[in-house]
Formats: sequence, C-alpha cells, structure tokens
Amino acid sequence: MFGAVEFPGGTEFPGGTEVRHVQPDELASTTARFIELGARYEMLVGLDERSVGGDGLAVEVDLSSAGGPLRFRADLPLAEPAYPSVALVVPAAAWDEREAKDLFGIIPLGHPDPRRLVLHERWPTGFHPLRKDVDAALRPPLGDRRYVPFEVHGDGVYQLPVGPIHAGIIEPGHFRFSAVGERILHLDARLFFAHRGLEKLVEGRSFEAAAPVVERACGVCTVSHALAYAQAVEALTGTAIPERARWGRLVLAELERLYNHVGDLGNMCAGVGFNPGVSRLGALKERLLRLNEGVSGHRYLMGSVAPGGLQLDLNEDGLIALTAELGPIAHELGGAIRSVIRSAGVMARFHLAGVVSGELARTVGATGVAARASGLEDDLRRDKPYGAYTDVEVSPAGAATGDVAARFHVRAQEAQEAIRLVAQGLAHLQPGPVRAAATRQPAAGETAQSGAEGPRGTSRIWLRAGEDGTIDRFHLRSASFANWPVVVAAVPGDLVPDFPLINKSFELCYACTDR
Amino acid sequence: MPIDVLDRFLRPLRGRPLTRPYPDEPAALPPTVRGLPEVDPSRCDATGACVTVCPTGAISLGPTDWTVDAGRCVFCAICATACPQDAIRLGSRFELAARSRDATHVVSRIGDPR
Repeated sequence: MFGAVEFPGGTEFPGGTEVRHVQPDELASTTARFIELGARYEMLVGLDERSVGGDGLAVEVDLSSAGGPLRFRADLPLAEPAYPSVALVVPAAAWDEREAKDLFGIIPLGHPDPRRLVLHERWPTGFHPLRKDVDAALRPPLGDRRYVPFEVHGDGVYQLPVGPIHAGIIEPGHFRFSAVGERILHLDARLFFAHRGLEKLVEGRSFEAAAPVVERACGVCTVSHALAYAQAVEALTGTAIPERARWGRLVLAELERLYNHVGDLGNMCAGVGFNPGVSRLGALKERLLRLNEGVSGHRYLMGSVAPGGLQLDLNEDGLIALTAELGPIAHELGGAIRSVIRSAGVMARFHLAGVVSGELARTVGATGVAARASGLEDDLRRDKPYGAYTDVEVSPAGAATGDVAARFHVRAQEAQEAIRLVAQGLAHLQPGPVRAAATRQPAAGETAQSGAEGPRGTSRIWLRAGEDGTIDRFHLRSASFANWPVVVAAVPGDLVPDFPLINKSFELCYACTDR
Repeated sequence: MPIDVLDRFLRPLRGRPLTRPYPDEPAALPPTVRGLPEVDPSRCDATGACVTVCPTGAISLGPTDWTVDAGRCVFCAICATACPQDAIRLGSRFELAARSRDATHVVSRIGDPR
C-alpha cells in the first residue's frame, strides 16, 4: 500500500524492516504523513549509537502498516540532541518522548508536557542513565528540585492528592485530582515510583541471562513479556522453536489472560462494593492459579517461556488436571458473570462511567481491552498472528460504548474465549522437545522488534544486539505504559468516587510501566 | 437468582471445606512446585556453573559447602538447567521467613571438591 509513497529525500518507500534515516526535523512530519495514510504508531525509542559505531544519540519511531513495519531513525548530535516533538502530531508518543528525554537527554522541541516522567525531580539535572557513558552501578546524589503538579485554577476548584501510598496492597502512584464538588476537571497521574532501571540492568548480559529480568518487569504479564522478548531473541539468533513449545506458549499465554481477566472482573465488582462477585471470582482466580502451578510449577507462570522455546516442559499431571477442570471453570465463570450482569445496582454504576470514545482511544494509543471496549479492532493475535496463533481462529471481542460496562463485557467475552483457546492448544500438544538451540549469533548492531498480546493489550520489545551475543539496548513498552494516558484522559467529567472503579476497569500494572 | 444464592449458603453444609487448615496442618503442594534450589551432594562437582548463571548472585560456593541466599533467589530454575551434573533441583521448601538477613543463607555440605 505504501509502494508508491514519496519518501522525504526523493526515494520511493517500499516498506520492510530496514531502518530509514531521516533528518531530525523531518521525523515528526514523516510520522504524521504515514499515520494519515493508515499506518499505526507502535513506539518511539531513544538510542545511544556510540556503542555500535555511531558518534551520538538517536531517536527511532516504529510504525506498522499493511505493507509491513516502517522504521524511521533520526541521528542526533551528542552536543545538542533535539528534534521537533512527534507528540504534537501523534499524541500517543507523548510519554515515549518524555521517557527518552529523562533517560537519554533527548529533547523533543515543543512537547506539550515537558515535565519529568520516569526520573522524578529528586534525580539530579543532567543525569541520563541510559547513555552508554553512565555506569549502571552509579548512585547519583539527590537533586533539589520539587515536583510541580499540573494545577487548575478558578472559583471552587480544589485539589485532592491521593497516594503514592494507598490503603490496599496496590502499587505506588500519585493521583492529583482538580475537582469542582465531586466532578473531576483534571487528573495528573504521577507514576514511575517503581522505576528499577531494568533496561540498563540487562545491557551487556547474554540473551539468556536477561530473560528472568525481563519476565519480572511485573508479576501479572510475565508470559506476555517473556514471549515478546523470546520472539525478538529468536529473530536475532535464527531460532526455530519446536512444535510442542509453540503450542505450549499459546496455552500459557491464554492461561495468563484467563486468570488476569477473572481476577480483574472480580476487582471491578470491588470497585462498586459488590462482594458476592468479588468472592466468587476471587475463588475462581485461586483455582486457576493452582492449575497454573500444576502445569508450570509457578502460580504466575514465571520461568516457563524462554528464548528458544520453553524453559521447562509442561507437567503432564498438571495438564491432565487442567483439561479436566476447563469445563467446570467455564460453567462457574458463566454463572459468576451472569450474577454480576443481573445485579441492576452494579450495572447502573458500570454504565457511562469512565467513557473513552473510539476517537480518544485511537488518538491516545489505547491497546487491549481498553481499545476493544471503545470499538477499535486491535488485537495482535488477529492483526499479526505469531506463534501458534497463526493456526487458531481468535474470535474478536468488542463493545462500542467505551465505559466501565463495555470493559466488563469485553473481559467476560475474552475470558470465555481464552478457555476455548486453552482447550484448542491442549489438543495440539504432542510429546516432543520444548527447546531449540540458536543457529547463529547476531552481529553487533542488529535489531529486532516483537510484540505479544497480553491481558492488558500489546506489549512491545525493541532489542539490539551488542558484541558476543549480548544485549546492547533493550526496551519494553508494556501494554500498561500505552494505556495509562488513556486512564488520565478517561476521568475528566466523572466523579471522584468513581475513580477507583474506572481505574479498576483498566486494571493496569505500575511495575511494568515504571520498569 | 434467589435459588442460586440459597444454594451458595447451603453448599458448606453439604460438602467438605474448601479452605485448608494451614499452618496447623502442612500444606499439600503440587509436585511441580518450584521452591528453594537444593543440591545433591553426591552429584555436585563444584564446577560453579550455577554461581555463574544465577541472575541475582544468590548462589555461592565454598571449599566444602554450597550456599543459596533465599533472600536473593527468584526461583527461576536457571541453576538447575545449567548444572552439567544435574545436581540441582528446585525443592518443595517454601517457608523461608527468617529473623535476620544472615539467616536467609541456606548452606548445604558438598564434601571436598575433587
């Protein structure tokens, strides 16, 4: 579809995985032009080129199109690494640019919100940890700047700060509401309290040694992140995984979606104080976690997916127990969902709370349940099937209203579809090896991009090889990272007491956003 | 719906309890559980492969002992995969609470290195 499109500089653009170098001041306009033509924004990633023979920094925009991936890279001089902001034309890039600004010191000129994002104000000025000349072990002194919240002024407007420490055992995030009465005018979400520097930590490690770090970016998207990472490593090392691993991965990925969706449906009931739903779905989640443990040895499926296939074979007794339980679980799930939908008081709270229009979801870059509940068709398993998803039919889930109720319905549909997919995957599991060796070692500077559709949407990995099969640059853009700006955009106009419910209807991770 | 609710109230009277009396009775864990790594002293050759691959640096090897720090171990099983002697298993030990930082170190004697 892009075969005949004029590329800045006069060449025709054929598509493909090759990187196209553009001038820094052309990056935003080029991106905007291809988005207008139907390409989709995937991510923007900051780079330090000095480790792969360059002499400065760079910023790369990755898009996907019907004609294949599109990658545009602008080289930036170390002395003045700046370019016109892409977020001005593609709002979904706003957080990526703020992240590259904090971690690399790459300045997006004219950015609509140039405040700090990943590194809070107490980090010293001029400290950009992902630059190659910064030692990972360095502990810089505390800076002395203060956080400046986004404030709304006017008659009757007051501010309500919540967090970062919350009443429940949830992750840290500071939410500052500007409200009139109970109605929210603006929400300023300050995250990244759980930033651990994982992207720096894995640099210089072998692909193998980085895997346990990658899958621990958060506790509930383990399989999705491990899978996206493994696929990127396999692309770099020319690894063809065995058949049993291919289907085993599908079973694990759908088990992860299933226990997450069941738990999240229960949490949404907690958002309106509907305890029968909380208990029933919570009990069902526990059953699923125990089945996970029987199959993989880990309740949250850690250490199951590895580059080259599976780290350990799936346990036969666990698989038999899982097969036997799928029917009763589907029955109980159906009953639990019906009991929620039949509760008029619950649905009255769900309807029209936290509405995200299709237009807003597309602009801000929603993914997963958040996108599909707003009428967008966005599912990597269907759009660009990977692994065993090429051999199964994933029924589309969707709703159009974009409110909490829509997100409840989409999750309910997907949980039931996940049970069906697990059963299909189990039927295809044949005895055999679960891990294959790499056939080649990538040259320094080779890159690979990959994604996997997790419970919260598409998580993406950007990977570049260094010397001797090590990692030069690793970037994880988790589904939660993509969706947090959507939460922020969803709440203005809603009531403060509805925020916990709206937040639970997205149920995003903090840890894999913060990394 | 009311029948469904009534059924839920009456269910505990009909069957056995769903909850387990842990810690009064030991927990029955599935055989696949991946607890703290354990070394088989008769197989360990002190090659140190486990020490090298451990992503968190939880394993250390002395002249006559093999130590895993339960406070650092993330139960990833990479040591068990990497051991050329197949001497490491992830056991069923999961009760790892300790009263001090040092007490998280679990030491196994592996005899004199050959």
